[in-house]
Amino acid sequence: MNRLIIRFIGIMFISLLLTGCWDKREINELAIATAISIDQIDDEFHVSAQVVIPTELSKQGGGTGSSPVTLYQASGVSVNEAIRKLTLVAPRTIYLGHLQVVVISEELAKEGILPIVDFLSRGWGHRPDFYLIVSKEMDARDILKVQTSLEKIPSSELFNILHSSEANYSSTLAATFNKMKVNLDREGKEGVLTGVQIIGDRTKGPMNENVQTIDPEAKIKFGELAVFKGDKLIGWLNDKESRGYNGITNQVNSTIGVVSCPDGGKVSLDFEKFNSKIKSKKVSSNPEIEIQVDIVADIGEVSCNIDLTKQETVKMLEKEMEKVVKSDMQDTIKTVQQNFQSDIFGFGAAIHKQNPKEWKNLKENWDEVFAELPVNIKVDLRISHFGSLINPVSGVTSK
Amino acid sequence: MSLFKKKRRIVIQPSPSSTNETKNIVGSNSLKENLKENLQHIKNTLGESADIIIREIKIGNEGRIKVGIIYTDGLSNSEALQNFIMETLMIDIKQTDIENNLTADSPTLTLLKNFALTVGELTDVSDFDQLFTSLLSGDVIVLIDSFSSGYIIGNKFWQERGVMEPTAQTVIRGPREGFSENLRVNTALVRRIIKDPNLWMISKEVGRRTKTNIAIMYIEGVADENVVDEVRNRIGRIDIDGILESANIEEFIQDSQFTLFPTVFNTERPDTVAAALLEGRIAILVDGTPFVLIVPALFIQFFQSSEDYYQRAVMASLIRLLRFIAFGISILMPALYISLITFHHEIIPSALLVSLAAQREGVPFPAFVEAIIMEITFEILREAGLRMPRAIGSAMSIVGAFVIGTAAVEAGIISAAMVIVVSITAISSFVSPTYDIAIAGRIVRFIFMGLAASFGLYGILIVLIALVLHLCSLSSFGVPYMSPFAPFNAAGLKDSLIRFPIWNMLKRPSYISKNSSKQRPTKVNFKKSSHSKRSQNE
Repeated sequence: MNRLIIRFIGIMFISLLLTGCWDKREINELAIATAISIDQIDDEFHVSAQVVIPTELSKQGGGTGSSPVTLYQASGVSVNEAIRKLTLVAPRTIYLGHLQVVVISEELAKEGILPIVDFLSRGWGHRPDFYLIVSKEMDARDILKVQTSLEKIPSSELFNILHSSEANYSSTLAATFNKMKVNLDREGKEGVLTGVQIIGDRTKGPMNENVQTIDPEAKIKFGELAVFKGDKLIGWLNDKESRGYNGITNQVNSTIGVVSCPDGGKVSLDFEKFNSKIKSKKVSSNPEIEIQVDIVADIGEVSCNIDLTKQETVKMLEKEMEKVVKSDMQDTIKTVQQNFQSDIFGFGAAIHKQNPKEWKNLKENWDEVFAELPVNIKVDLRISHFGSLINPVSGVTSK
Repeated sequence: MSLFKKKRRIVIQPSPSSTNETKNIVGSNSLKENLKENLQHIKNTLGESADIIIREIKIGNEGRIKVGIIYTDGLSNSEALQNFIMETLMIDIKQTDIENNLTADSPTLTLLKNFALTVGELTDVSDFDQLFTSLLSGDVIVLIDSFSSGYIIGNKFWQERGVMEPTAQTVIRGPREGFSENLRVNTALVRRIIKDPNLWMISKEVGRRTKTNIAIMYIEGVADENVVDEVRNRIGRIDIDGILESANIEEFIQDSQFTLFPTVFNTERPDTVAAALLEGRIAILVDGTPFVLIVPALFIQFFQSSEDYYQRAVMASLIRLLRFIAFGISILMPALYISLITFHHEIIPSALLVSLAAQREGVPFPAFVEAIIMEITFEILREAGLRMPRAIGSAMSIVGAFVIGTAAVEAGIISAAMVIVVSITAISSFVSPTYDIAIAGRIVRFIFMGLAASFGLYGILIVLIALVLHLCSLSSFGVPYMSPFAPFNAAGLKDSLIRFPIWNMLKRPSYISKNSSKQRPTKVNFKKSSHSKRSQNE
């Protein structure tokens, strides 16, 4: 028994020597990068990592008032090389495990994002749930250089804007890296990423003054979706089309719709429940797509003289709104079919799922088929709540 | 892995081979007829100790009968000695004509026993072994000249602590009395609760020199006879000079010597003992200590407070769950913290990671060293607080709070998060209602920490598996330690992680009371109350 225990303890000790805590990294030996940007400079990948300075953020020390993050930059022929080269300028290992956002420049996205996607999905050190975004008409690294006030860490600001706009307005798409990767692999569905821009004076962005004023000179703004074909960016959707796209692909959490009243003024509806379904149909050997949209909306704002106590009025509003939603979606589809021929809606995937045999035939020249694909949209909208008022305030009604 | 092999081997103590040593101490020869000789022998053997009082008196009308009275000062009731022994022998006896009654059939000896000594407990003694044991236990010895035997008069009385509230196992609701140091008082406390003729008691004397009295209590027909025999055997095999506390017995009779976990339960609460007896367990009461041993002891028993049964079932269940969680925290928390902070940064939420990183900024040691420093500091503080005189207590708690809290953080030696972790761990380790399991948890915690520092969560898992294997390999007097979980016992689960209502637990645990898992005679019928039943019968 004693010999056994001694032997066991011996083995334990030897095994301790063998491993030697080989992947032990103390938390304060890491440079925690919460965002990286990837640009293309002279055929090289230029990577910038936004690294948090923990002491500046901590409540204890209070910090010295300097920037809460710092940017380390390096270039390399591959993304991986560039990241390794970051250690030439950074005192600690760049740790990508807590990556929140990866910004890719429009220029690079047009060339193709495959190398980036491969690098990010191959490494096991990071989670695949960060957001991929595209910097529109500017360098990606500039996006990471803007100081933000509400969220101390700029990458958190990027992350949270994307999050809240997707939840409340639905013109953006919080596309996680994983989602994009799936789209690249999947037949019959192309990827879409949200674009980001700096509005205002770009040069003021990195300065501390930017967060010391009420109205910062340089601000981050999201909006407009970048349309991809394969791994290449081919164009942009505007705000209306972006919301149309999200509507078709059932990615709307909550948004708003505005209809005009018959005699001037507007009524805006909050879409509380939004559900859309893409179905493929075969009409005389040609594929056809049917989109069924179900919306439950509340009245959010009324600025015209209507009598909401009457059912006809409500019915009328519902009809009007349905028309608006439908036409928005049709416009979006038309734009994409004519300008991009890229099946970002996943019509192909719907056909693939419902008629796999037919998809085999269509697959070869899907782009041409997609461009001509007839799409029927049915919108069914129901107004459920009126808010705290029923009829508009008397001032409006009495006009 | 033979390390985890079942080791149900009982450690056999060498049986008392001979009583040679004992003989040398006191001398085994039987009493002489000559009183002088006897008294001289007693004096010599006891080294003429000052507290041994030897009184020679002459009784009878003529004063012809010589009587020796021997007792230990301080252990005997001097008042009773005065009133019932000395007075009767020296005064009352003169009024009766003792010498006239002397016949061949009834010599002085029996006469005194039958007519003179007005005491309750009286036994004959004819050899010195017994004489010395009784004398040193506080009894009064009466020797009469020209007889080779005498009397032991039970007259033990000494200053002792009364029945007080238990200090180590306190409850809010429940009986307030606790065991004291006197064995007789303790057995009485138990018998006062269980007035059952089947509550049996085996008396034993352990310790060559201390001759400590031990009582093994059990309910005949409820307790497993094999276990009773086993307890009796194991105690019988103990051969040692002295038993000072029930812990000495515990160490001799426990099943496995190489384990951190206690396999014998101890309590200072009579109600806990009574409950255990009713379940079919066996209580071992030791003279001189308020701590009573209970066997067989299971892992979950150490998380059951007697108060669990005096509170509403839902409340008791929640509190019991809380205890298990707290135990988990107390053994795992520092290890988890170390492994997260040195290996698995991915699973810490980003905001927390940044905050932790900020706290660790400038801390010179790895998390493991930091944790060890803090844990050891805390253990030192705890031990110091336990041992030192009460008067210095407040001074130490101030210094302790400073060292462990503010100062260490402000000096940049320790990160604030580590202080929180260690504090939570420390508090959690005090949640267990029994002290023994908390100590076990404390040691296990260090093993977890070591492995977590070298292997991360993987290491924690390895230790966890080893720990479960080890716990499952233990047994207490033939009952698997992890019952009712392993081996699984559905009925037993009613009183494990949670406590079912009492009326749902009328059966005794079958893994303890082997020969009686019948229902207890009382069964509550909620549909028909006893009142309505009675009125129907009438």
